Parts: sequence; C-alpha cells; structure tokens
Amino acid sequence: MFGRSRVLMAAVLALTCCFVAGTGYASGNVDLTFTAWSYGVETVNDNIAKFEQMYPGIKVAFSDFSWFDYHDIMATRFFSKTPTDVCYSSDHWLQEWAAAGWIVPLEDYFPWVRESKAEFAKYAVEGMTYNGKLYGVPYYADLMIFIYNEEMLKKAGFNQPPKTWEELAEQAKAMKAKGICNYPIIFEFGQQEGAANEVLISMVYSRKDGHMFNGLEPVFNKPGSAAAKTLEWITEGMQKSKIIDPASLTMAEIELVKSMQSGQHAFTILPKYNLAELNNPASSKLAGKFKMALMPGDTHETVGYVRFYAMTKMAVDRGKDVVDAVGKFIQYFGGKTNGKYIVEKRWAVEKGLGFAQLPLYDDPDVVKAINSWGDVKLELEQAKLARAKEGLSPFYGTWDLFVRTELHKAYLGQQSPQQVLDTCAKKWNEMRKK
Amino acid sequence: MFEVMVGAKRRRLRLAFLYGVSILLVVFILFPFYWVFRSSLMGEEDLFSRPIVWLTRHPTLDNYRYVFTGEIPTSYQVKGLMRSRVSQETRYILGALKNSTVVAVSVTLVNLIFGTPAAYVFARMRFRGSLRVYQFILMSRLLPAVAIAIPYYLIIKWVGLLDTYLGLILVYSAITLPFSVWYLTLYFRSVPASMEEAGLVDGCTRLQALRFVLAPVAAPGITAAAAFAFMAVYNEFLFGLMLTQTIKSRTMPVLIAGISTNPDVSYALLCVCITLAIIPPVILALLLRQYITRGLLTTISK
Amino acid sequence: MSPVGVSGRGTLASSTPMISGRREKPFLLVVPTLGIVLCFTVFPIGYALVLSLRRFLLTQPWDTSFVGLRNYWEVITSDYFRASIASTFKFAALAVVCVLIYGGLVGLLLDARLWTSRLLQVLILLPWAIPPAIAGIMWKWIFHADYGAVNGFLVGLGLLKDYFPWLSTPSTARTCLVIAHVWKEGSLAAVLVLAGLQTIPRELRDAIFCDGGGPWTYFRHVVIPFLKPTLLVIAIYETMIAILTFDLVYVMTGGGPGNATALVSWYAYIESFRFLNFGHGAALSFTIAAVILVMILVYLRVLKTEEVY
Repeated sequence: MFGRSRVLMAAVLALTCCFVAGTGYASGNVDLTFTAWSYGVETVNDNIAKFEQMYPGIKVAFSDFSWFDYHDIMATRFFSKTPTDVCYSSDHWLQEWAAAGWIVPLEDYFPWVRESKAEFAKYAVEGMTYNGKLYGVPYYADLMIFIYNEEMLKKAGFNQPPKTWEELAEQAKAMKAKGICNYPIIFEFGQQEGAANEVLISMVYSRKDGHMFNGLEPVFNKPGSAAAKTLEWITEGMQKSKIIDPASLTMAEIELVKSMQSGQHAFTILPKYNLAELNNPASSKLAGKFKMALMPGDTHETVGYVRFYAMTKMAVDRGKDVVDAVGKFIQYFGGKTNGKYIVEKRWAVEKGLGFAQLPLYDDPDVVKAINSWGDVKLELEQAKLARAKEGLSPFYGTWDLFVRTELHKAYLGQQSPQQVLDTCAKKWNEMRKK
Repeated sequence: MFEVMVGAKRRRLRLAFLYGVSILLVVFILFPFYWVFRSSLMGEEDLFSRPIVWLTRHPTLDNYRYVFTGEIPTSYQVKGLMRSRVSQETRYILGALKNSTVVAVSVTLVNLIFGTPAAYVFARMRFRGSLRVYQFILMSRLLPAVAIAIPYYLIIKWVGLLDTYLGLILVYSAITLPFSVWYLTLYFRSVPASMEEAGLVDGCTRLQALRFVLAPVAAPGITAAAAFAFMAVYNEFLFGLMLTQTIKSRTMPVLIAGISTNPDVSYALLCVCITLAIIPPVILALLLRQYITRGLLTTISK
Repeated sequence: MSPVGVSGRGTLASSTPMISGRREKPFLLVVPTLGIVLCFTVFPIGYALVLSLRRFLLTQPWDTSFVGLRNYWEVITSDYFRASIASTFKFAALAVVCVLIYGGLVGLLLDARLWTSRLLQVLILLPWAIPPAIAGIMWKWIFHADYGAVNGFLVGLGLLKDYFPWLSTPSTARTCLVIAHVWKEGSLAAVLVLAGLQTIPRELRDAIFCDGGGPWTYFRHVVIPFLKPTLLVIAIYETMIAILTFDLVYVMTGGGPGNATALVSWYAYIESFRFLNFGHGAALSFTIAAVILVMILVYLRVLKTEEVY
C-alpha cells in the first residue's frame, strides 16, 4: 500500500511539472520586463507603444503594482530573481536596493547619464546617488509644498498666507473661532501613506537649524531641536487648540486632496503635483481657490524628493543586448529623445507631475500648464529651497515605516513628543548597528 | 416562536418591535451596497459635498461607459488645460473579473472532482492510515496564510507558473480542498449508508454508487461545498496579491484594493468596479441560498 | 482559508457500516486531494520553519546565519507583540460577543414568521458573499471623517454636532473595525443559529405552549439549551477568525491610529512584508499557529464534555 502511494505521489508531482512552461526569447529581439507602481497605466502603455515603434527590436512587458505594495513586491521579486530589467524606484529605497545588489549604478553603463546630471535638480541628484554614483534617471520629482484655501483665508480676514508656524496657528485659531471651519489644518499622516514623514520633515526643514540628521547621526531627538519643536507644534494643534483635524491620522494623499475639495480645511502640506488636481474644475467645485505659499518657518526650506527609473542587476546578468535596450528605454522615458524630454513633458502637461529635468521650465507648454493651476515663479523659488531627505541609508525605508506608527503616539497624546523622538532615535541606532 | 403571545395588545407591541428590529437589520445589511451603487452613478465632484447627497438627482451611466469603452466621463473631462485624474486601471476590471471567475470555477471543479470522492472515502470506507491522512488534510490549514505566502510564491515561481491561471488554481485548490473534504465528509455521513448498500448489492462500483445514488441525495451539501469553494477563491486577496503580476492573471480583489490605494484613484469609478465585482457572488448567493442554508443545517443538526 | 476545516471532529466515525470484501482501492480516490495538499504543505511549512530559525532580512541577503530560537525570543519579548496581543484580545472579545449577539438575533428573526423573515433570509448571505477587502473599502468610506455616510447621517439628524473622525481615535477605530467585521461575519453565524433553531422538534414547541408557558419560558428552557452547541461552535470559530483577521485591517485602518488596530496577524504581515524580516514573520506565524492549535484542542475537549456531538 505504502509503496504504491509513493509511486502515485511521484506521478502527481510529475504531472505538476508537465505544466511548466518553457520561456524562450525570439532571436534578434530583446524582451524587457518593466515594473512600475500603478499610476496612469494607460499613459505608460501608450508611451511604451511609441517606444516600441521607435525601436522595433525591443519588446517591453509591463507589470504594475499598487503603490502601497510596490516596495514589498519588488523586494520579493528581487529575492526570488523574478525577471525584472527596469523599474521605478524612490530615493528612500535607493540605498537599500543598491546595498542588496538589486540595482546597479547607471553611470557605469551609460555615459549620457553622467552628462545629464547637470540638467537635473540638485535634490534629485542627491536622492539618486549612492556611494557617489548615480543610480537613476528621474521619472518624476517634486516638492512638499504648503497649500491654502484663499477664499477661507480672506473670509477670516487675512490677506496674506502665514509666514511662520506661529502665524499659521493664529490664523487657524481665528478661523475656528469665527466658525469658518472646525479643523482648519489637515495633514496626510495615515500609516499607509509614504509621504507622511516627508510632511513632517518639510516642517522641520523650514525652521532654523532644521535638520533631522548630521550625516548618519540623529539630531532630531535633541531637546529643543527643530524636530522637537515641530512635533510639539503638531501635538499642541491636535490635542489642545484642536486646529488640526484628528482625521489626519488616517489620511493618505488622495483622500486628503478630496477632503480639501470638500471645503472643510484651509491649510495643508502636499506633494506639489496635487495642486493641479485641487484646482481642477472637473473634480472640484472649489477649483481655483487653492494657492501655494512658501513653506512657513524661518528658512522656508522644504523637502524635494525623486522617483526614478533604475536598472536591475538581473538585466546586467542577461548580457550586453539587454543592457543596451534598458539604456534606450531609460533614455526615452527619463532622458532626451532628439534633444527633448518627451515623456517627462507629457507627464508634466497632462498630469501636472513635477520634474527634475530643469530645462523643461523653459518650455512654454509646460509653463502654461503649471500656471493654469499654480504659479511657476513661486514654484521655482520654492524649488531652490528644496533639500533631499537627510539620513538616507540602506535601512531608511524600514525606519520610516517604524516612525509613522510611533509619531501617532505623540499626535494622540499617548506619549510626549520627546519620548517618541527618543524611541525613534533608539530604533535608528539599533538598525545602524545591524 | 414569536407568534404565540398572551394578550392582543402585548402581541401587537411585540410585533411592532420585531418588525422594527428586522427593518433596521435590513437597512444595516443593505446600506453599504446601496452606498457604493449610488456613488457609481454620480460625478466625482458630487461625492464629497456637505450635506451628503443621499439620492442623486442626476444619475449618470458615464462612469460605467468609461469602464467599458474608455470614453472619459463628462465629469472628468478637460476643463481648462488639464484633465482630471482618472484611475485608468479601472478599465481592467472586466479582465480581472474574467480572471477571478475562470480561476474560481476551475478550483470549484477541482474540489468537486477530487474532493467529493475523497470525502466519500473518509465517510464510508477505511484504509490503512486513513485517519492519519484525514487529520493531515485538515491540519494543513492551520498555519496563517502570511507564513506560507513566501514559500508558495517560491514554489509557483520554480515551476514557472507565476502570473498564470494554473498557478493560482493549484494554490487555491490546496487551500480550499481541506475545507471541502471536511465539510462533505460530515455531510455524507449524515446520509444513511443503507441507500448505497442497495446499489452496491446491485453491482455498482463505489464510484458509481457515489455518482448515481449518493450524489443526488447529497446534492444540497455538494452544492454548498461548491459555493463555499467558489466564494473563498473569488474573494481571496493575499495569495492573489503575491502570485499575479499583470492583468493577464490579476484577480478582482487585488485589482480593486490596488485602485483604492493608488494616488490617482477616482472614487466614482472605483465604485463602478466594486458594483460590477460583487454582482457575480451576490447572484450566486441569492441563487444558492436554499442549498447553502440547507447544507449547513444538515451538517450542524446531525 | 477558514480554520473551520480543522475545528470539526478530527476523528472518523466508526458507527457507519463499512462494506468490505470487495477489492476496492479507496486510497486511490484520496490520492489527488492528498497530493495537492501535500505539495503545498510539506515544503512551505518546512521552509517557513527554516526561515524562523535563521536571521533572514530580505534587504540583507548576504547574511542568513542560523540563530536558533532567537527570532521567537525577539518577537515574543518585543513591545509590539505585547501591544498587538492586547489589541487582538480586545478586538477578539468584542468581535465574538457582537457576532454571537448579532447572529443570535438575526437567527431568531430568520426563524420567526414575519414577512421580513423571508426578506432577511434572502439578504443575509450577501455580506458573506463579498470579499473582506471590498467590505473594508466600503466601510472605510462610510466611516470617513470628511464625507462619510455615518457622519452625514448623525449630523443631519442633529445627533452629532460636527463630523467626527471615527477611524482616527483608537477606541472608535476598533469599534468601526468590529462593526465591519460583524457585518461580514455575522451572516454565517445567523444561518448557523437558524440551522440550530430548526433542530428543535415541532412537538416540543407545541408542548410548551400547551402547558401555558410563555415565550420567555420557551426561550430559556428550550431555545438556549438547543442552541448551546451551535453558539459554542460559533464562538470558537469566530475567535479563530478574529485572531486571523487581516484583510479588513489592511484596507480599513492599516493598524492605526498608533497601533490601536495592529492585530497580531497584521503584525505578522508587516514583519514579513513591510519590514521584510522573514525570520521574525515566520516565528510570529508559528506562535500564532500554536495558540490556535491549543484553542482547537481545548475546543474539542469542551465539545466532548458537553456531549454535543
């Protein structure tokens, strides 16, 4: 009986193996696998079709994953060596991916990348550089900006947006007192939201001595630091004066945009491209009321971040043809084709995405697009004050996740701001040792 | 039990109370469905107004049209230079529904073809080690899905079945079969064995006895088991997330959860997707209601 | 999938008559099922076991040294584990009680002879039929702080002064999660209660009323004893479901605010898939599995002493 069962088991296994499909590549052609998070997938597909038309020898297989799951799915793919040649990445994952050997420095393979560095915004270059080498070409890059509802501001009797955090609190309190809205300020502090900490960091940057780290040494937990002041300011606004909406704790970027559009909040901080959506008549009855101002604070500095195209180690292992194809792909999507940034321009004009490719600011179409929902001059001024995130390291992404939960404890009044910052610093130092 | 009461007045009061509670429950059960459906008929900008629009005065099928044809709903169309964000992924919902349905139906068939005879054996026959095998099959579901998700991913990758129907079907069969076998074993045992004995005396084989004698009698139970398997697969999220990569195989819950968390989500379009996605299981639940209830009843009450 | 698969009796009845003497090969009929289950059991569990005994950070693939039980120790002694045990306990207690009450109530109404009973019988399976992930999305939206229906309703009726952020306050966030959970899980409980009620013999109902007993006597002395086994099954099954709740947290709260809804299964998920510490994740999963196994054993013992089955 047992002997027979073993034979049968083997048969079942063998049957299972029969289903294994062989994957072969058509000769002469190069097949690329491109993975991205799902955003404007039809636009991406259209771009790919145009790219394939231009390079008939290259076929691109495109897979997309939800932004919230993207990092985790990519890590699984890299670990299991699931074929992936070119992919989106982000500044806060760069070092982790590079240190693990999953992605490779582009400048070692494509000389044009090094030359185009000069045309990229400084914070973006910094966000794509690891061990002195450039690992990416920007897919989009943007700033965290301060946004206000001009109509509500005027209703409350103010002509100017706030210049400092204290002034913001005053304006918000006045608005609350006048019954214009219950919670004038709202942020995207939801734990799933990748930009949650970037909001906080932009508030830290805008203060005097606004630093999170000195090199890899945490300075945010020093008593009286800009970070401590920022956290106290938020906690005060949430717990005492109640000018910050507690719903902030569940907000992700897109929900926040919709909440602003419902007209219940006057102030927020968002990645800049959201201003385009806020002022879009199709999705909001309040279109045109939302304005950008320099980040309140002493220095008005803010965070600039970058999401970029990266080439995987797997692509390199597949040989020179594949590397060449990846180079063409990245150049088409993030670099210049016939001297022009076509794909980048398309994102900027059609979707309002920010860009690190500075020459695009001279393009009249782009300027016109930006001015239809924002202010190109103000944007440039803020861009000059943008800095990359500090403390970028292979464990930054994981730490960032940890911090989101911890900060909630301060916002909810469960722990003091100092306690929370100490926990975050302790975790950082622990991770650094490993 | 409620119908017999003492005193007409008390009786009427009690009836009013019972009807009141029943109606509240009906509202509680139906409200989320209504809410999603309502939202699918509205323009995006109306979804966020205060006070809330409970019943839209200008229902529109624009959102549905976009999902089917790609024509941008008027509420999203270009006004000024820019077009509003539109969740383009919502256009994949039909493909995802097809994937979910194909996979769920296949797994249901696997459950019926392989699970029914196995359950029959456990209910009626013995072989050396049958108890062990039975317990092993049941115990295999003990580990939380999170623990085995990575090994499952690796297995499916090694056999080259990532992003294919077959990969999903294999995994889902492995996780649904234990329940089906357990459930059907209990169910078959609630049917008197004397019926098939007659068949067996007439010279049927065991399989024939199962097919021609037991199966018709146990039809409610088998239907319920099939429905359970279908629902479990159609609704599964974590393995779907791990094992699919493109719309070639991406299942409905994965696509919808993805759209809902993407930075360019349009809620009205998302509601169209949800409405379309829940039609098949809802119809199935309505059609098979009797069987599911009766099937559970027989198992529990024996 | 549902742990109900292991919650039933793990024994084979000897009471059913066996027909022997034929040269049948019953094992053959079990082979395909066993084969599929075996392929997807032995390796994954073995692999997960190995992971749980090694240092295994996906982001540091160069070091996967054997660490013995250290992952288990680190996981069990961590603050997060303690916090998640506390929130899981609170959630499970609330969820089980609510599902029992809701299921019992709906079950009774399903069994009653009201015109709404038929309607409820048709509708009750609908929540059960849809994916938990979608149920979560629906409820998240209904509870939304700025445009949720609950706020609109309460403020519209004047019961609430202003819109309230239900999902941003630890206690209400947990309650919202429970409501969504009950909405989805209560269906099956209600149908099971209905099944239990229908086992009450007709004569017993009539007898009671002939003796002049009112509905309350009937309820106490007939319904409750008859339903006891069903309610017990539901309670234990729901406890396991509550411990394993994951999809709902994933779409509704993401564990927040703070860690108010970071249930232990959610924690196992983020250890593995967010922090990519597979060693910790696997160790945590085995710990959860051990707890559930103990629960099942207790459950089987209780059922036996209750002489239910």
